[in-house]
Amino acid sequence: MGRRRVVLELSIFFILALFLSGGSLGMILFKQTLYSAFSFLLAMLALAGMFALLDNSFLFLAQIMVSVGAVIVLSLMVIVSLNAKDDNLPDEEHKFKWVIVSSILVIPFSLLMYKALQSTHLKFEETVEGYGSLRMMGHTLFTDWVLPFEIVSILLLAAMVGAIAIARKEKSQ
Amino acid sequence: MNPEYFFILATLLFSIGIVGVVSRRNLFVIYMSVELMLSSINLVLATFSRLHGDMHGSVIVLIMIAAIAAEAALFLAMIVQLYRSKRSLDSNDCSQLIQTKEAL
Repeated sequence: MGRRRVVLELSIFFILALFLSGGSLGMILFKQTLYSAFSFLLAMLALAGMFALLDNSFLFLAQIMVSVGAVIVLSLMVIVSLNAKDDNLPDEEHKFKWVIVSSILVIPFSLLMYKALQSTHLKFEETVEGYGSLRMMGHTLFTDWVLPFEIVSILLLAAMVGAIAIARKEKSQ
Repeated sequence: MNPEYFFILATLLFSIGIVGVVSRRNLFVIYMSVELMLSSINLVLATFSRLHGDMHGSVIVLIMIAAIAAEAALFLAMIVQLYRSKRSLDSNDCSQLIQTKEAL
């Protein structure tokens, strides 16, 4: 029983990890912006699955509703409405060379980051009752994290006003 | 399940994000790479929240998702504005701050 569960979790993890890394690699490698955005959408959906695998059902919902449903769909709408032709895109003839060189340069940093994360030596244990539920999330959010929550609401308002002010058309034009 | 798998995956995603920001010149790809880096940090936070068994990490992830949404709104507005003034999605065309200031 326990062994079957572990095998199932591992296979789900590897399928999601394949989609996540493949989607993000496609995102930085495609030339057409729309294809990049679609692979990024795939990656974000797989990340939502990762949250579900970590017993965090509310984050799963929030990721799908906000990151996928709002942010990426908004990006897709902007990309489609800009309708950039091929000669408006940058011509990156040495794209793969740049990608390979910067990947080699990033390797030491990745090793450092992995070592730092892995040095905690924690193991997954059985969670407490109700972990990841909406009730526990709301309780933590509105007891210990009230001030950050309010600050985030002000941040969202400021971002909305700023976005409208930046993207507005000038009257003289 | 071993938490190291999650750490390897998050490190990989963060590195892909850095590579995307450094090596590509399309403004949209740069924007999505920044989002990818933020999301990989979300994955690390959710993993640690599960490892410790309390919800504080998950709440930080929720707040991060809201911050990502704010960042996306501003970034997209700036891309639209730059595209209107330059007719190009090339980051080399807006490499000088004075040009950006004129565009705004």
